[in-house]
Amino acid sequence: MSPQLLQQLFTADALWALAPLIALCLGAMLVLLSDILPGTAGLRRPLFLLTIAAAAYGAVHGFGAPEGTYMMGSFHHSHALSAWTVIFLLSGLIAFEFGQRYYKEEARFLAEHDVLMLTSLAGMVMMAGAADLLAFFIGLETLSVPLYTLAGFRRARSDSVEAGLKYFMLGAFAAAMFLYGAALVYAATGTISIEDMSGMGSTLTEPLALAGFALIVGSLFFKISVFPFHLWVPDVYQGAPTPVTAFMATGTKAAGFAFLLTLMGQNLASGKPVLPESAAWIVGWIAVITMAAGNLGALVQTDLKRMLAYSGVAHAGTMLLAIAAGWHDTEPHGAQTALLFYMAAYVFTAGGAFGLLAWMESEGGEVTIESLKGLSARRPMLAAAMAVFMLSLGGIPPLGGFWGKYLVFSCAVRADMIPLAVIGVLMSVIALGYYLKVIVAMYMQPQTQSHSAGISPRLAAAVATGVCALVVVALGMLPSWVLERLG
Amino acid sequence: MANLIFYLMAALAVVAALGVVAARNPIMSILALLGSFFALAAIYLVSGFQTLAALQILVYAGAILVLFLFVIMLLNLANETKLERIDLAMFHGRKAVWTFLIAGALLGISAFAALAIVPAAGDAPALPERGIDELQPLADAMFSRYLLPFELVSVLLLATAVAVLVLAKRNRGPLNLDQGGEST
Repeated sequence: MSPQLLQQLFTADALWALAPLIALCLGAMLVLLSDILPGTAGLRRPLFLLTIAAAAYGAVHGFGAPEGTYMMGSFHHSHALSAWTVIFLLSGLIAFEFGQRYYKEEARFLAEHDVLMLTSLAGMVMMAGAADLLAFFIGLETLSVPLYTLAGFRRARSDSVEAGLKYFMLGAFAAAMFLYGAALVYAATGTISIEDMSGMGSTLTEPLALAGFALIVGSLFFKISVFPFHLWVPDVYQGAPTPVTAFMATGTKAAGFAFLLTLMGQNLASGKPVLPESAAWIVGWIAVITMAAGNLGALVQTDLKRMLAYSGVAHAGTMLLAIAAGWHDTEPHGAQTALLFYMAAYVFTAGGAFGLLAWMESEGGEVTIESLKGLSARRPMLAAAMAVFMLSLGGIPPLGGFWGKYLVFSCAVRADMIPLAVIGVLMSVIALGYYLKVIVAMYMQPQTQSHSAGISPRLAAAVATGVCALVVVALGMLPSWVLERLG
Repeated sequence: MANLIFYLMAALAVVAALGVVAARNPIMSILALLGSFFALAAIYLVSGFQTLAALQILVYAGAILVLFLFVIMLLNLANETKLERIDLAMFHGRKAVWTFLIAGALLGISAFAALAIVPAAGDAPALPERGIDELQPLADAMFSRYLLPFELVSVLLLATAVAVLVLAKRNRGPLNLDQGGEST
């Protein structure tokens, strides 16, 4: 490599833009080393936290750095990317904290667990920052391969292995779909750079490009668990270890939406969507059907984890509505802002809810509505935190989840998709049916099961629960503070 | 002439791919896959991508297929997994609906794309990647324009190695972490 080329590739700006990615990859290797070198096993946890902190520092620095495309067009840095990176890191951190002392038989693989989480996070950052289809695909695989294993991490349990295998099979199918789509798009446009594509106008609506984009978006729909590619969600979310479920439900979804926003042009300098405008209503109706599928599925569940899995599908549908509105939104970055806020609230809400579930599960097995009865008397603080998460997931003001939904629905209204917004609001009301069921069980019904009695105090999980609940409340009280910094 | 070879090889690739799915014996499946890979390599060669064709044979037909064969022979799966027969009863109920819907959608998109390519073939854009098939331009592109994805692939490989280790390592019960880590 010639010196000029090195200087062209690795400018200071480029290195700062890639700082979170570099920190995560370096951290993964250090954690792996700490497992191999004698006497350094105790460094695993500090190294993980240090890696997250370093990556977060890089991301926060990115808010002040100039936006632009680096590495000869592979990576696009924007302030939104920094915000997405912070969301990914929070998702990883929450899953990590709730994973403390969750694994018992698998404790000997904890270092590998952390390495897989860090590489998966690196994949998310790459997906969100990808400026071309190749970079995105490598990011997608770097995200997915560790997650397949993490989903099947409890090897002794058949449901976990089944979850891992199912996720792997369908993930491989989605990856093949993406590649096929990318090949068709390349054949139609002659480029893989999304920035270049966005300026091509009518080329993008040629049949070949349309077929390609349909396949690409289909594979993304699989990752963000949207109808009709949501069928894997309940089984995989339920079978996977609960901290991993929290990570999948928040981080993976955020990364998928971040790239959808890139395809909508919101992360690009040109700001023009690559996806054809004619898809707006199709995506909108898919969003609404997803909400219905998720909510109706959740209504009949008694297992809390499965219920939250369906609720995750419903939330993906709500977020997709902002994407559908993106073509006709009168505010150029409306969808970006709405989704960033929605996801910021969702990371703490769903992360906290799944985490709390992991905590309870590791004591008394599966958590059902039945076993939650009387929780407020036994563990008032836990019940209060769970109630906050449920209300926020349901979109009750003044919690973080409410403002997320408000922003998404106002996107839809601005884009003149009022029927969809109305159905979305109705769906939120249906969703309250099952969120409130949890609260009723905790607060208004006497305990019926004896084994669900004790939840031993655990510092990491308790702090994480408390912080999640407080942030959810704070996001609800002070949305403007966050929104000013986002937009 | 080139067209003739192309269509011949394309047909062979499709037939061999069908053979992979339809063969009852896993070894036959793999041999059919080999045929498909070779046909694909020939297509690359006819299209002027000689490096890609060589890599296709070295990596896929060579390394990956041998791995497949090894795994099947070492685990002695050849007889146990032999399917009694293949019939439509394997696809029943709701599964069948989804299978046919998805397969139909993919086939539809393929046909759509193929029909869209045919009229456009005459004035197709000259793909810029065409020039990079020689080894040196390929390396130049890999270490400049595509350096970031290239480097991330190494992270992906590391993650895959760790993932395989986690899944495949023999379980010897819970490890007491106080004893200072594990030796193997």
